[in-house]
Amino acid sequence: MYIPTIGIEMHCEMKSFSKVFSKARNTYSEEANIHVAVNDIALPGILPTLNKEVLRKSIMVASILNCEIPEYFFFDRKNYYYPDLPKGYQITQTHSPVGVNGHITIPYQDEELDVLIHDIHLEEDTAQLEHIKDSTYINYNRAGVPLLELVTGPCFHTKDEVVAFIEYIRRVYQYADISDADVTKGQIRCDVNISLSDSDNLGTRVEVKNVNSISNVVAVIDYEIKRQLDLLESGRGEKIEQESRRWDEESCTTKRMRSKEDAIDYRYFVEPNIPKIKIDPQYVLEIKKSIPVLPLERLRTYLNDYGLTRVDANTLLKEKAISDYFNQCVTLGIEPKIAMNWITVTIMGFLNKEGKNISNISLLPEDLKYVIDKIKDGSISSKQAKEAVLASLEQNKKPQEFMKEENTQISDEAKLTEIIESILEKNTSQVEAYHSGKTNLFQFFVGQVMKETKGLANPVKTREILEKKLQS
Amino acid sequence: MSCFTKELVSELASKLLIGLSEEENKMVLDEFEEIERNMDKINAIADIASVEAMTHPFPLEDIILRNDDDVEELAQEDVLKNASHKNLTTIIVPKVVKE
Amino acid sequence: MKSEILKIKERIQNGELTVQDLFQNTMKSVLENQEKCNSFVTILDPLETSSGNLQNIPYALKDNISTKGILTTGSSNTLKNYIPVYDATVYQKLKEVGAVCIGKTVMDEFGLGATGTTGHTGVVKNPWDESLQAGGSSAGSAACVAAGVVPFAIGTDTGDSIRKPAAYCGIVGYKPTYGMISRYGVYPFASSLDHVGVLTRSVYDAALVVDVIKGKDEKDMTSFDSSSIKLVDALNNQKKEPKKLFYFKELVHIDSYENPSEELKQTLKQFEELKEKASELGILICEESLSRELLEAIPSVYTCISCAEATSNLSNLTGIIFGPQEESSDVFEMIKEHRTKGFSPLIKRRLVIGSYVLQKENQEKYFLNAQRVRNLIVQKMNAFFEQYDALILPCSEREAKSLNPKESVTTSDTMVLENHMAIGNFGGFPSITIPNGFVNGLPIGVNLTAKVKDDENLLQIAARLEEMLGLCGQVAGGKK
Repeated sequence: MYIPTIGIEMHCEMKSFSKVFSKARNTYSEEANIHVAVNDIALPGILPTLNKEVLRKSIMVASILNCEIPEYFFFDRKNYYYPDLPKGYQITQTHSPVGVNGHITIPYQDEELDVLIHDIHLEEDTAQLEHIKDSTYINYNRAGVPLLELVTGPCFHTKDEVVAFIEYIRRVYQYADISDADVTKGQIRCDVNISLSDSDNLGTRVEVKNVNSISNVVAVIDYEIKRQLDLLESGRGEKIEQESRRWDEESCTTKRMRSKEDAIDYRYFVEPNIPKIKIDPQYVLEIKKSIPVLPLERLRTYLNDYGLTRVDANTLLKEKAISDYFNQCVTLGIEPKIAMNWITVTIMGFLNKEGKNISNISLLPEDLKYVIDKIKDGSISSKQAKEAVLASLEQNKKPQEFMKEENTQISDEAKLTEIIESILEKNTSQVEAYHSGKTNLFQFFVGQVMKETKGLANPVKTREILEKKLQS
Repeated sequence: MSCFTKELVSELASKLLIGLSEEENKMVLDEFEEIERNMDKINAIADIASVEAMTHPFPLEDIILRNDDDVEELAQEDVLKNASHKNLTTIIVPKVVKE
Repeated sequence: MKSEILKIKERIQNGELTVQDLFQNTMKSVLENQEKCNSFVTILDPLETSSGNLQNIPYALKDNISTKGILTTGSSNTLKNYIPVYDATVYQKLKEVGAVCIGKTVMDEFGLGATGTTGHTGVVKNPWDESLQAGGSSAGSAACVAAGVVPFAIGTDTGDSIRKPAAYCGIVGYKPTYGMISRYGVYPFASSLDHVGVLTRSVYDAALVVDVIKGKDEKDMTSFDSSSIKLVDALNNQKKEPKKLFYFKELVHIDSYENPSEELKQTLKQFEELKEKASELGILICEESLSRELLEAIPSVYTCISCAEATSNLSNLTGIIFGPQEESSDVFEMIKEHRTKGFSPLIKRRLVIGSYVLQKENQEKYFLNAQRVRNLIVQKMNAFFEQYDALILPCSEREAKSLNPKESVTTSDTMVLENHMAIGNFGGFPSITIPNGFVNGLPIGVNLTAKVKDDENLLQIAARLEEMLGLCGQVAGGKK
């Protein structure tokens, strides 16, 4: 039996205002070559300046991944020629990555899975090439955008594990505000390393480079396992070669890029233009303290302490803002399941439909608490509550406004007494019949009050007052 | 006997996207011989492997990192200014064929 | 007066000289010098400035320093039409103090050379004798200062590229501690060894100029805050205390050399004389020894590290973003064509060597061991600096060499004496060359190197020796 072993290298574009070593904006633009500084086009004489915020974020990720963080932070040059690499070298970290020897626990199906992290390092992105007819057009907006490259150990055995890992890391990056980790914008790219073995030793490793979507990661794993298995079981004594391959979308196969012998020698050396920066352990500690509660810990709380189902918990965890909103609701004293219902059904239903974000709505957790309390004390019905909440979401106003203006229950005793008295006056024959023993007419009077108030009369109060009036 | 050959020199230059004439190739070969002799002296220094490789002249204390909002961009025309093949917004090269 | 710059300022203030006349005279001598020595890639019309410490003082800038809107070639065909869109910090600072750049000077292509003969606009000739090299790589900067065209020029120094041509041209060449002057906008040769510095005809002027161009620059992470270093003040308030210098006997003893040339004998004799005279001033010069194996390693360590860094630093020269894009249907062929045509044979050689020593299978033996020996040498130097104020040595074995390559061969004997100034670059040490008399009627220099950030002390010593030697302000051909 051959067992596949998989490791991945996950590149992710980081979120920041400016680029990692250059003063141009780190932002996407339709217009080519407008977010470019002298560094990004490698003009003679340029020098890198390291972005402090990017350094902070990369240390945060290294901490999240439980990595060892080096005493000194420095960079290396990776030298090669390609038209998307203006300087002819990429500034990266090989000698002293921001984090090494880490591990992270991720949720996997109904359990948890430990993943080994080989290292995490900071580097710069390349320019974007667009090929049209006989020419290639170069756009330097992307050149110099900060990239985090996370390298796992060879610790996965199925594609599901790999997908769970990528999805979880994406979520972690979003929670910690490291990156939008948007796959559709090409912010995540993976290299997938796959080997097959029927013994305790790992087999020959094949690397598939530059896989740009999660579905392609799955396709690559499926294809490579099959391809390698065919080779191993062909009986022709064919060997798997250590090589780099790429995914070809048209044929849905992997194709050879180069063998181990042809591997490019990147002639790495320490970047002399960036001094070795001593990382103050106190600074690392401060960064660690600022890490938000991560999705796995939240999941554990939702499942074990709040008794939510995994499906509901995962719905809440999709976005940090929603999970934060839910947590606030619970802190305010809303029963977790009730809060979950309001959020996943009414609020998220609205947000999904309108394509809006939870941070932009007027309905704050304390407002939701107010509405839920009103249902509890019988001031409003569930139906009224839902209508008020929906109106609040749609018109971006406080729900209280809708509970007063039109939909609010009439609980005021004087007002109800007035209405009831006028109804009794209009229906003298029924009043007489009631007094003569037709007590089932009580429901008729209630109905009249409801009709008069368009259903807004507080039913409990209405009965109280009616009973009093009919007895007198 | 030297391990340096004309072919090796050509291959090295080629990887740097540089072409060498016969004469230039010969000059590199001669210089390699010289360096090789001197490198043997370096490698003969006792315990050399235990010394830390020096990458910067001296350590620096007051390193200032750049603030994220410190932005200075080039005008698009300046990005393209010195390029000889371009259109209004991009630099153009012969089609880069994927490996 | 020991300052050319102050002399000009004073004459303008006294009304002896108008700015127009100053500029006119300068331009006249620029053209003469260009004719004679070929110092300039670009000559600029001087424009009067309104204020600043160096208001209206003309100077020349090496052509590897980025000047917005002004051609900056690095003396290379790869950048023969390149017009920068940004200013180097050092140029910016000189503009701020009102200095007037009158030209961009010829250099060895991208600084990789020591002869001044590899620039794309032709060789630079020594103003003392046009059949001789000016030395390099800051060749044009040295030649125009030595000819008296300008009181100062900016140069760069990776191995001895300021200090060697200064010696050959009989002037002062000073590179301050690494990181004191920003490298932002300076075309790199080998980033961990590259320094910006100045060429002048007096130590005082070197101090004056460096005082205004130094400073921590947020655009250069390797620059440091040197606001506590005040060079002119240090010279003005010089107390002339006793100082202790050292030299390496291996380089200065005549019996270290098998067949010493007459020039070498003369050079060493002059050093010996300086030693004796200095002791009368309270500057004691002592004999020390650095192991022969470390000394002999200097040229190779320098070659390995500088070529390796250069091969990476010059990788941006592809003709795509700047420089002429060659015609080809294949992008890599196009880049190759650009580099093959654009680089001089010397650069190609250096780049190939640099790439070789960086290769995975060679890196340990060559590049890393070179970096390790660099460390050993710097450690030894720092140990010496605990006892001594500075290292003092002759700048080279002899006076400037002939432009005829057949007559300018260095024997392996004097290899170390010719290349020891790279020690100053290995450790980022401040280092200055001043004229030390003549051999065959041509100037030679003496070099002083001190510990990191000890620039004030270094310049104080240099100024005292300069005064003693009486060659301050000498102009080519003026005083032999």
